[in-house]
Amino acid sequence: MFLKHIDLTTALRPSYLPDEDLLFVQDNVGLYEGKFKLPNQQNGQVYLTSHRICYVDKAEPRKYSVALDLRDVERYEFYAGFLKSSPKVTLIPKATKRSSFQQRAPAHVSVPSRSGSSSPAHRQDGALRVSPVEPTPASTATWVCTICSFSNPVPSNFDPTTANAHTPLPPCLACGIKPTLTHVLKAAISNATSRQPSSPALHTPLPVRPRQISELAAVQSPGLTAPPRSSDPDASFHCPRCTFANHPSLLSCEICGAPLISHDIPTNLIQSPRPNNDSPGPFLNSLAPATTGLENPENVKLSFRRGGEKIFYERLKGCMTQRKWLLQNAPPIPKSSRSDGANGVSGAGGSSEPERQRPKIGGIAGLERQTQAMRKNNEIVIGNAFEDLEALMASAKDIVALAESFAKQVKGAGGSSASENALLAESASQLGLITTKDIVGSNGGDSLYLSELARTLAEFLTDDSRGVLRKAGGVISLVDLWAMFNRARGGVELVSPADFEKAANLWEKLELPVRLRVFKSGVKVVQGKDRTDEHTVRALLAWMKDLHEFPPDREVAWDWHEFGRGVTARDVAERFGWSIGVAEEELEMAEERGVLCREEGIEGLKFWENFIDTGEGKGYKDEATLQAEHTLKMLKESGFL
Amino acid sequence: MPTPPTPPFPFPKEYSFPPFFTPQINLATRHAQLTKWSSLILSYCRHHAIYRLSLSDTTTSPSSPAYPLFNNDSINRRLSLSYIKEIIDFMRRDGRAEWVSGSGSGEQQQGDLVWVYWRTPEEWAGLVEKWVEETGNKGQVMTVYELVEGEGSRGSEFWGLDQELMVKAVQVLVKKGKAQTMGGEENLGVKFF
Repeated sequence: MFLKHIDLTTALRPSYLPDEDLLFVQDNVGLYEGKFKLPNQQNGQVYLTSHRICYVDKAEPRKYSVALDLRDVERYEFYAGFLKSSPKVTLIPKATKRSSFQQRAPAHVSVPSRSGSSSPAHRQDGALRVSPVEPTPASTATWVCTICSFSNPVPSNFDPTTANAHTPLPPCLACGIKPTLTHVLKAAISNATSRQPSSPALHTPLPVRPRQISELAAVQSPGLTAPPRSSDPDASFHCPRCTFANHPSLLSCEICGAPLISHDIPTNLIQSPRPNNDSPGPFLNSLAPATTGLENPENVKLSFRRGGEKIFYERLKGCMTQRKWLLQNAPPIPKSSRSDGANGVSGAGGSSEPERQRPKIGGIAGLERQTQAMRKNNEIVIGNAFEDLEALMASAKDIVALAESFAKQVKGAGGSSASENALLAESASQLGLITTKDIVGSNGGDSLYLSELARTLAEFLTDDSRGVLRKAGGVISLVDLWAMFNRARGGVELVSPADFEKAANLWEKLELPVRLRVFKSGVKVVQGKDRTDEHTVRALLAWMKDLHEFPPDREVAWDWHEFGRGVTARDVAERFGWSIGVAEEELEMAEERGVLCREEGIEGLKFWENFIDTGEGKGYKDEATLQAEHTLKMLKESGFL
Repeated sequence: MPTPPTPPFPFPKEYSFPPFFTPQINLATRHAQLTKWSSLILSYCRHHAIYRLSLSDTTTSPSSPAYPLFNNDSINRRLSLSYIKEIIDFMRRDGRAEWVSGSGSGEQQQGDLVWVYWRTPEEWAGLVEKWVEETGNKGQVMTVYELVEGEGSRGSEFWGLDQELMVKAVQVLVKKGKAQTMGGEENLGVKFF
């Protein structure tokens, strides 16, 4: 399936994969599948990340939010809009996803020499995205063995964009010598570039036996008038590589072994993988009837009802070129060979292989050598990274890791590593997914930025791994949060206090799990939605009840079994982990509700359980009841005495 | 003023509750606090037969009979003078206290001495009237001194009443037409009807 249901965070935003970066957000977007609107996905926000496009529905976010992986996207088109029709971006899924028939056909007749061709098909497509129209197998590319000059096929799962030193390469089929990476890489690239300009009408190197395909086509669609093969004046096949004229029934060239193709395949058939069809022609449908119902019309359109399409398209283009999803499971980038060769110091760090080969040196010398090697390596990494911007982007991960380790060292040397600072340093890197003003569609104005900021904040607060709110005892003042948040952003894209406050005010409206509370004094605090005043009061009272049981630290004059003891704001702050300001406000709130009462003394303001307003004494009692009570009291006293 | 050895006053439990001595901010709590204090003052004064309080005296000199009322030495808490005045004002609205106006002319005096009406003059007047009827003193002329100190009224509830307060009670009776005053300031005579 092209569109997948996704999980949302507490703040109703898509939960991101590791390494996923948010690139753009736009609201008021609707979804189409093929030509038709998807009824439940007509108004929502679209999040463009480095890996996915996520749609979060406005009305029923948990139910109808979907996402599609960019790696499944074959092509994307832009439609600028016309009159009442909104601008749209069309996303066309890959052939593998769209039609399994196309995929199966070559698998049946695959040339035996291509043993590796059963590999993941979309990987191979990914390699050839440059010319995505032709689902060309990579096997047509060959590399010539430097030892024996035998032309070997490049393995079909070989992807020049992701290949590195760790990619396994098959040895030469004739002499068994392994080729170098660069050699194969060059072959693959030159093949891809030479193939690009070729139009499908020309010799599109389809790895299928021509006769079979035509037969298939004939069987599948009897109405299709496939040109008879005999109409071809040239009865022999010219090998596309060595131009040797082979017998038409041969599958591969007699001389060089290259797979043979025919140029009399009907152009329609060749073009059929072209998914560029908003309205699929009858031919295409009849060609693959088995697949139409399932996945064929599955191109997805994003309709931008309130602008933002241009930036979206630009960013989409950018991230389709970068293809960050490939990095996700990719092995670490090999260290540049310079470090090994030039100065003999092995590049440690990522690959420890050269390290292991070195003679083992124990003791302090070994440790010193190790740190020296590490320093050297760091130097190289930093040097490489700042050589140019591209390199910096590529090695961003390493650089961040390095910077963090430096930060830790600095802190360790300073000796003052407060837990809060550690928390901030950690969260700084975790806060990669920040919403900045230029990520958000400009046409939405400030409101979208603010609502996104509100969501980011809510996530920041409720994130369990960070536990900002939990560590602050469930309540944090807005100013503290603002400071912490901006510090966590590491000094870039800071949020202005005004925006911050506005975003905080949106929490209630967006039904996020945090809320802003304004105390009587005007102090604003942030707390979880489930934390109400009643909750706080109950917690306070429970604690005060406990004080009846546990004796106070020192002798007190009053009966603490009866009254417990008074607590200051500082005590409360310590007990509940609140800041003192928050504790004061909470205590005053409880006093306001008549639950607590105050005592001003030399020790400062203390709060007690309210034994004053117990609801019984209502004015001066009248004569008779007083008399009765008096006598009763006297009786009791005499009884006691 | 007769001071028979009275049993110690049983203070309510709030008396040993430290916040009781701090003016409360919360209005409901404050009202409850004022009510409890006025009730405490009244029952304390009734217990010790105190009719008027000198605020400066009670708050400062430990020898004053009403000293423990506003000073709880056992928990080391005391009521501030300003809050006492607020309590008195609260009681005044209930008709249970009144600033003593006659005793001095200065402003200071006025804010210091206070009647504590654990029985209001009207209530006292009612008691006197009842006593007059019961003892058959109708039509008799008695001095105020006789009423509060005389042998005839010994045993009655108003025996030992503050003379000034008795004058107030008598004046209530006069207004009702149940009595008539005669004589000078020093020994006021009362004739009951």
